Amino acid sequence: MEEVFRGRAWVVGDDIDTDQIYHGTYLPITDPKEMAKHAMEYVPGIEDFAKKVEEGDLLLCGRNFGSGSSREHAPMSLKYCGIKVVIAESFAGIFYRNAVNIGLPLVECESLPGFAEPMDIVEVDIKTGLLKNITKNTEIHGAPLPDLEMEILEAGGLIPYMKSHGMFPGVGAGA
Amino acid sequence: MGKTIIEKIIGGHAGKEVSAGDRVWANIDLAVIRDFGGPNVVLEFDEATNKGKVWDPGKIAITFDYQAPAKVAKVAENQRICRDFAIRQGIENLFEVNCGVGQHTLLEHGMILPGSIVVGTDSHMNLLGAVGCYATGMGTTDIAAAFAAGRLWFRVPPSVKVIFEGGFTYPATAKDLTLEFVRVMGADGSLFRSVEFEGDMIDNLPLSGRLTLASMVTETSGEISFFPLSGEIAAFLEKRSGRKIEPVISDPGAVYEKEIVINIEGLRPKIACPHTPDNVKDVREVEGVEVDEVFIGSCTNGSFEDLKAAAEVMKGKKVHPRVRTIVTPATSEVALKALKDGLYEIFMEAGAMVTNPGCALCTIGHPGILGEREVAVSTGNRNFIGKIGKGAEVYLASPVTAALTAIEGKITDPARVLSKV
Repeated sequence: MEEVFRGRAWVVGDDIDTDQIYHGTYLPITDPKEMAKHAMEYVPGIEDFAKKVEEGDLLLCGRNFGSGSSREHAPMSLKYCGIKVVIAESFAGIFYRNAVNIGLPLVECESLPGFAEPMDIVEVDIKTGLLKNITKNTEIHGAPLPDLEMEILEAGGLIPYMKSHGMFPGVGAGA
Repeated sequence: MGKTIIEKIIGGHAGKEVSAGDRVWANIDLAVIRDFGGPNVVLEFDEATNKGKVWDPGKIAITFDYQAPAKVAKVAENQRICRDFAIRQGIENLFEVNCGVGQHTLLEHGMILPGSIVVGTDSHMNLLGAVGCYATGMGTTDIAAAFAAGRLWFRVPPSVKVIFEGGFTYPATAKDLTLEFVRVMGADGSLFRSVEFEGDMIDNLPLSGRLTLASMVTETSGEISFFPLSGEIAAFLEKRSGRKIEPVISDPGAVYEKEIVINIEGLRPKIACPHTPDNVKDVREVEGVEVDEVFIGSCTNGSFEDLKAAAEVMKGKKVHPRVRTIVTPATSEVALKALKDGLYEIFMEAGAMVTNPGCALCTIGHPGILGEREVAVSTGNRNFIGKIGKGAEVYLASPVTAALTAIEGKITDPARVLSKV
């Protein structure tokens, strides 16, 4: 899989919860393409995110991104609206594993505040955690993704990973 | 090396010693789906396994509490998908739309044991830490995988110890203790941590109060919390499960990332102000704010003791004519007990309405949504922007504060008005 991504930066603050990322009103939706239309709709100031986001954009967040609900709609809506990597000072526990499980790469980076302005061009290496601000010509180091998370992402998500490791009884490896 | 409670539980299910930060695969004791999240789990499971069989139908439960009974066609269809799946897979633990909040229902049915691992599509699964179970909310992919394999990957959370020093009396309650905990920790103060609570007040906290506190560990981004198991709660679990109860306790020398002492001596009633659960003040600081709706219920405060505390305040009184007052028992068992004990009579004579059990307003699955600029006092656990009505302002408080506020029509400090004889 790709390990280095370059794209425009969307920048949001601390404690963006799952109702802001993907509001409870839309929970009955099951089609990821429909979910994508409501991504970040309740984040103050960027309510029009889903209309303006482009394939290949990156999302830069503050602390505790994705707190709140267990809804997988939150990372799904981001993945299917074109976000390639979510980078944050820290992630809420459920969002973290949901993103890995659906194959949306994450990078944790404590020194993220002040690194990028909205729409700066940013490059991220998910394997090493290296972040480059191409617009400003600066770089910082985030945490490299741990091996297991990297393997799950490389497999394309949790289900393909477990299948290929023969963890689904009755379903052949690679089935 | 000594182990913390979470290291013991995950290690016991992984078949090896584990320490904080490790990644391991561990066996699951119970996997739970609800009427949201649930249908996607079923669809993902069917696709992943080509409509195969679940790993163990006896270790799967389905609870309908989000929108019970369904009010829109999409949810009705989602529930049908779950019912059909239960029949096809031979899953007997299906709790229908009459039952109420899933976690509370599972607890009442003896399906939750100390030291077990329970996963489900609900971010407040972790309230079951109240009885020593490692229960955690997960997304649909995780649960679909658990259905197929009976095990999942885990990151072992670091542990922190939180010690409450001192004590308090009525009208402060477990919810006020909980809000004080959330205030001290902040929105990410327990980020992916296992919290072990200690203190005299904790030892004396009944199950309902532990459920309240454990549920809002989520609002500090905590993964799970644990309490020293009391004899009373062990007896309850033994009676409900028919199993011998073995508490899981931490070892001497277990490693804690930090120890936090919170002084709760003379704690005053607390309230979380809009729009975050950690925006906590003394109720007396916001007295006088006029409210349009009061909601008493949720997985945080829908236990019988919570309803009783509200009823004691409302007895013989009328709610303010402007305040729509909605009471929702967590489960049908709670509702039946409230009915038998005369609580329904008190609520209805006061002008409050009692709804069917469930998650009610918290997920806006049930009616009661707020209009623009309306103000509510809720006993739930979240007051995020727009959560129960776009442009609305939501305060979180105890059932006592909520009931008193319903009567007065404005936020009112029970410490000024009420005292237990």
